[in-house]
Amino acid sequence: MIHKSLAAMALVAAAPLASAQSVSMCVFDVIGANGDFYNFVKDYALEMKGHGVDFELKPYTDEGVAIGDFNAGQCDAVAATDIRIRPFNKFTGSISAVGALPTYDNLKTLLATLAQPKAAPLMKDNGYEVLGIIPVGAGYLFVNDRSIDTAGELAGKRMATLDYQKDAIHMVNFVKATVVPSDITNFAGKFNNGSVDTAYAPAFAYEALELYKGIGENGGVVDYPLAQLTLQMVARDDVLDDETAQKAREVAWNMFPQAMGLIEGQEAAIPEEKWVRIPEKDIRGYQEMFRENRIEMRDGLNGAPDVYHPKMMGLLSKIRCASNPSAAECTAGNRE
Amino acid sequence: MISSLAKLGPHVFAARLKVLSLAAVAILAGCSANPIYTTTGVVLSNYSEGEATPYVLQMSDAQMACALGEGVDPLLYSFSRVTDAPDTTGSLLMLLAGNCAEYEAWEAELAYLRADYEGDVEAAKDAREVAKRLNALTAKRRYASFQRAMAAYEFDPGAEPLECPFLFTEQDEITFLLGLLTGMQAIVNDANSGAMAGVPRNIAPQAERAATCLDNEKWGGMPNAIRALVWLLLPDTRPALAPDPWQVLEHSRELAVEKGMRVPHALQAVAAETFGRPEKLEEAIASFAEADATIEVWDEYRLVDEVAAGVVRFSSDKHWTANYGYRTPQSFFGRMSPERQTENVETMNLDDLL
Repeated sequence: MIHKSLAAMALVAAAPLASAQSVSMCVFDVIGANGDFYNFVKDYALEMKGHGVDFELKPYTDEGVAIGDFNAGQCDAVAATDIRIRPFNKFTGSISAVGALPTYDNLKTLLATLAQPKAAPLMKDNGYEVLGIIPVGAGYLFVNDRSIDTAGELAGKRMATLDYQKDAIHMVNFVKATVVPSDITNFAGKFNNGSVDTAYAPAFAYEALELYKGIGENGGVVDYPLAQLTLQMVARDDVLDDETAQKAREVAWNMFPQAMGLIEGQEAAIPEEKWVRIPEKDIRGYQEMFRENRIEMRDGLNGAPDVYHPKMMGLLSKIRCASNPSAAECTAGNRE
Repeated sequence: MISSLAKLGPHVFAARLKVLSLAAVAILAGCSANPIYTTTGVVLSNYSEGEATPYVLQMSDAQMACALGEGVDPLLYSFSRVTDAPDTTGSLLMLLAGNCAEYEAWEAELAYLRADYEGDVEAAKDAREVAKRLNALTAKRRYASFQRAMAAYEFDPGAEPLECPFLFTEQDEITFLLGLLTGMQAIVNDANSGAMAGVPRNIAPQAERAATCLDNEKWGGMPNAIRALVWLLLPDTRPALAPDPWQVLEHSRELAVEKGMRVPHALQAVAAETFGRPEKLEEAIASFAEADATIEVWDEYRLVDEVAAGVVRFSSDKHWTANYGYRTPQSFFGRMSPERQTENVETMNLDDLL
């Protein structure tokens, strides 16, 4: 008598031997799994495996989709830039406040401060917890004409602006430039084909997105960090216990030198003659301009969006004044 | 008059011979190099381009070809000290040397995935560090190969508007095309090294533009597959009316099988990994394996198909190692899981034998 085999679909795969807790993470990198920052998160994940967490990474080249999938519960955690992190933690999402961290030394102080166990309560908000912060480089202003080297010169100029970045839109309006709504995938094309006069981006974009084309013979990169961009890992609060979450933040902080090495390489790829240096006295003026705008965007004054967390503004001000105590803002009546 | 000339003859002849000899030595030697070295360089360079390259391109042993690249490149390219740099052959030799470094990087990457699967964090970290260093070496070699290929055809990849190079022979075309591909690979290797090699990332958009200089049909979809990969990486580079990049890759794979050189399959596998598209990875690997039974490999460029096979197999091995702890078993190449196809197989009743 002939009959069918009962052994249908015999699976020979053995389950992994390790018993680490599995956490899926949607990871944004403009160039996906072969991007520098995705690879960086891979190192972070490997380090975390030693602490009992098995991150399963999924690459996303569209940051909005990564956040959408995280919101839809398709991943337990997400790695995205702090502008997108604001809804999950307004405090750490305010690190990129305009002009708030003028040097990488200031950024280092901030990230070391936030990695302390004492900072843990600030890492939790709204049912989410920050599991680490990695710098991705300062945002600089790219201009097609080197004479645009003062805020006043920006009036009337067209600026590619991320359409979801409320603070940037406010600043562009403040300097009386024209907002040209853009996203990460098309701002470079707009700058390079001349449909905007200026754009802002980390140094990474100079080579990878060929921003030197938009700069041409006459333009340059203004050597003043408009904002410090960071990649932040965020998970739903119940995904990791408090101790492991703190460990995760320390692991990310320990990778700071590695991230800075990457950023320094990207900034070094911009030729010296393309940097537009601005005089010290102008810088002081900009610092005050940015400070006033930050206060407006902290308090939602004069039609500004209230996107910045007051505690983060206070901490950033403390860091700036510790490194430059003679700055006017440190004795100002309306200190942040 | 004739007699007077006859009297002068031997002296004039000897003097002219001396002048000519000196001139010849001066031409061959340039200012300082030994004329024999220069001549040898020219001969070797021409031989490599005319005979050795076609021979190597039809080899089926990718490992031996890579050993050739590592072994011969420093010797051949050293002739750039005494004559024109042999950039055409030099780009291919450096490409092969890059493959050698990558084969080692692949083993380290698989060791990392295996250790990660087993939960041995220290071994995983060690293997990942080895993989990074080897990726940096691969990236440096590949970037050099790209630069030589561009120099060989006096092509400025950054020039606007694009000026296509003069490619006189089919061998020139494939050398240039492989140069572009190698430049793209250099970026991937550099990213996987933690940016240790410092390969400029603008190679990607440059390769996208330069790929339009080649006949897509003739080269089995390879030029358009390169372009599609860049469109996925940098959506801005995609022309307004261009079709969906994944569709372009699919069409390129079909052309590749027709022509017998499956580079687009390898490019799709890389794209699928980059963008986290497991179904596209499966498609690339499955269609590559499926074609094995029917394909007539383009004989003159058998090595190119072999190298592409290595890339696809590595993609499959990475998937298997990350998910099951071991690389793809031979009979499972083309499939993504060890699910046995043993259902619905007829068996006999043993009752009367027991």
